[in-house]
Amino acid sequence: MAKAIKVKNLSKEFKVKIKGKGLKGSLKAIIKPQVKVIKAVQNISFEVEEGEIIAFIGPNGAGKSTTIKMLTGILFPNQGQVSVLGFNPKTERQKLAYQIGTVFGQKEQLWMHLTPYDNFMFFGAIYDLPEKEAESRINELSEVFGLNEFINTPVRNLSLGQRIRCEIVASLIHKPKVLFLDEPTIGLDPVVKENIRVLIKKMNKEFNTTIFLTSHDVGDIEKLCKRVIIIDGGQIVLDDTMENLKYHYLNRKLVEAKMKEKIDINDEPGITVIKDKGYNLKLEVDTNERSIADAIKLLDPDKMIDINISNVPLEEIIREIYQKEGS
Amino acid sequence: MLTVVKNQIKVSFYSFKYSLMREMINKTTFLSNIIFMILNDATLIIQWLVLFSLVDEVGGYGMREVLIMWGLTANIYGISRLFFKSAYNLSNTINTGKLDAYLVQPKNVLISYITSSVSVSAIGDIIFGYIMLFLFGFSFSNLLIFSLLSIVGATIDVSISIIYGSLAFWLSRSDRVASTANDMIIYFSNHPEGIFSNFIKVILYSIIPVGIMIYMPVRIITQGKTLLIIFSLISAVLFCWLAYKIFQRGLRRYSSSSLMISRI
Amino acid sequence: MRKYYYIFKANIMSNLQYIFNIMISFINYFILIFIYLNVWQYIYSDPSKLIYHYSVQQMVWYVIITEMLWFATSGRILCQNISNDVRSGNIAYNMNKPYSYIGYVLANHLGEILVSGLLYGTAGLIMGLILLGGIPTLSLAYIPFILIVIIFSVIINTMLITVVGLISFWIEDSSPFYWLYSKLLLVFGVFFPIEFFPKYLQGFLQYSPVYVTIYGPAKLFVDFSYVNLFKIISVQTLYLVIAYLGCQYMYERGVRKLNVNGG
Repeated sequence: MAKAIKVKNLSKEFKVKIKGKGLKGSLKAIIKPQVKVIKAVQNISFEVEEGEIIAFIGPNGAGKSTTIKMLTGILFPNQGQVSVLGFNPKTERQKLAYQIGTVFGQKEQLWMHLTPYDNFMFFGAIYDLPEKEAESRINELSEVFGLNEFINTPVRNLSLGQRIRCEIVASLIHKPKVLFLDEPTIGLDPVVKENIRVLIKKMNKEFNTTIFLTSHDVGDIEKLCKRVIIIDGGQIVLDDTMENLKYHYLNRKLVEAKMKEKIDINDEPGITVIKDKGYNLKLEVDTNERSIADAIKLLDPDKMIDINISNVPLEEIIREIYQKEGS
Repeated sequence: MLTVVKNQIKVSFYSFKYSLMREMINKTTFLSNIIFMILNDATLIIQWLVLFSLVDEVGGYGMREVLIMWGLTANIYGISRLFFKSAYNLSNTINTGKLDAYLVQPKNVLISYITSSVSVSAIGDIIFGYIMLFLFGFSFSNLLIFSLLSIVGATIDVSISIIYGSLAFWLSRSDRVASTANDMIIYFSNHPEGIFSNFIKVILYSIIPVGIMIYMPVRIITQGKTLLIIFSLISAVLFCWLAYKIFQRGLRRYSSSSLMISRI
Repeated sequence: MRKYYYIFKANIMSNLQYIFNIMISFINYFILIFIYLNVWQYIYSDPSKLIYHYSVQQMVWYVIITEMLWFATSGRILCQNISNDVRSGNIAYNMNKPYSYIGYVLANHLGEILVSGLLYGTAGLIMGLILLGGIPTLSLAYIPFILIVIIFSVIINTMLITVVGLISFWIEDSSPFYWLYSKLLLVFGVFFPIEFFPKYLQGFLQYSPVYVTIYGPAKLFVDFSYVNLFKIISVQTLYLVIAYLGCQYMYERGVRKLNVNGG
């Protein structure tokens, strides 16, 4: 299968001016500016096949946005090669733009006072689609993504979930081969998030769109992606299948419980007691070995006041990966 | 080539239409903005009434010439702010990284950007401008020349704004420079060139081209020197070209950006 | 009283950050003065001529002072803030705090404009000295009086702007009123002294805000006389009292209306 994205030895640095504190610092900065070099992206390489849904995740400041900007032609790399759909984003940005779609976080692209339909026609015009073609495309997308109900309601009257769906669909009018989604579900509630995830999966299935998804929400990508690249400090920490990641790192869940009375609890295979202080307990459960239900039973639900179950945070996963690499 | 231009015009037209529609949602605000602008422009006449009570002419202009000058200024201001309002916010847009959104679209970045918002009160300026012409210098040929020179002047004004705004690609604190340059054009364009020394006039025909935008057109309209129109057109083309080139240069630098100014 | 001083001081501190911005605005100030210098030099084709008892130097100094006041005390943002406070209901929260809203607004705004005022004042004086070579009929003895008049004028202006902002209690958008107020000041006070206007207008202008906020200080600067000083301070005192009472009254009526209607 053809490669949608090819990245080799990509690097990008930024020089940032440092200013000291207060008035003296400001004056010093004018006379003798001190510059700090930030290596946003350091020598990363990866390839993405056409039709893949790939997750590109990492903590804040890891270099995700910078990488996407280099893939879309907004920023030029300092070193290395980038090829998206056979185009060099630096020199063929406009040509590439016709073939890709982008949804950047919460940046609204839609006109709020227009209907989704008018918005879609507008985007069609931006991508030079003849009107007939735009119309048929809109109908098709509307069917697939269930927009018919509100396609003629002004965007400002839509619910957040409906609006975001339209934002994503708007980026599909021109049948892009690659869709870059940068934090598409940030700040959304779980129901809407799920909504969007279903939409993305459908998009990939129906149109074989390559999807490049960046996020710092592990839950986001767990459901969607077959392949994950984890980036931290500008470098690739992990490039593996979702299955492996799940098995080796995401299998662990944290269970925090507040009890009515002190209970006696010991480590068991698959369940480790992390914290046992007063009436508060924190357990780590290896879901490959034991189920959450078992852990709860162990805690005794009758004696529970409150319980909180969460994933192991991404930072923790990354730390572990480094440790494993080291050993 | 022609289809590219056609498509670009089509998208820009939609952009303008939708921006305007958005402003018209609240009809009262829309109308009151326009009316207030007309009144605002009119108050300047009081200053000239006082001055002309003292002398017969100022810098070679009588009341009629002053009002045509003011009408032309208002018209130029109106046309440039109505269609290209975003151009006057270029520095800020560059500094906050908002230009990125235009880089992922397959259209020309500069043109997509400058047509992305409209100013409603500018409509008032345009109306005022034509009122001045109708009251003080109306003739069919004057109407055509006035309209043409307004468009030419607006082109130069927007180009200046783009040139100074693009400085943000190179300097970090340049947003004030751009707005100062635009303000200067407005300040000078309320006063006849005859009161200024030759040294100042040189500046007014180059880096702050009020002379080309306003003074020369006033001469064309009131003294019938229609041949100068060619000079105006050539200047407009030159300023456009300069603006485009500088912006493109800056954009390249923006993308290779290895220098981002921030405070730590 | 000390709490107002702290608000005042805090605002000066934050303003120092914007000194660079203010310096750039000087260019606008200089350009305007320069343009008016050219206008008046042209009109006074004979420099020794007097128009309405003003010499060309006095005219240019007049504009320097009025433009300085105009730039330094720009109240558009203040008015907007008050309007926003009213519309959002924030204004009522201050009732619980042990200071008066009006006092707070005054102290806040004065702190902001102290820095810009000093900067523009210095810039204006330097520019005047360079362009005109001297200050007409001004002796050191007059300066304290002029400063008092300026301080009064700034306080009155702030309070009048507050009154305009408080209109938002009854009419949602107060910006047209602010526009009207500032336009009147500009057109009738900044470019020409009151004497340049027709007689029938002068009577009215002498009791208008123009007299106490713009004309007064500038007139004393270019043409000081104890008679005028007395007249100006009398009208200013009147305005101080009326404006303050006006503010308080509108604030109280307004907040009561807010509480009744639930904001």
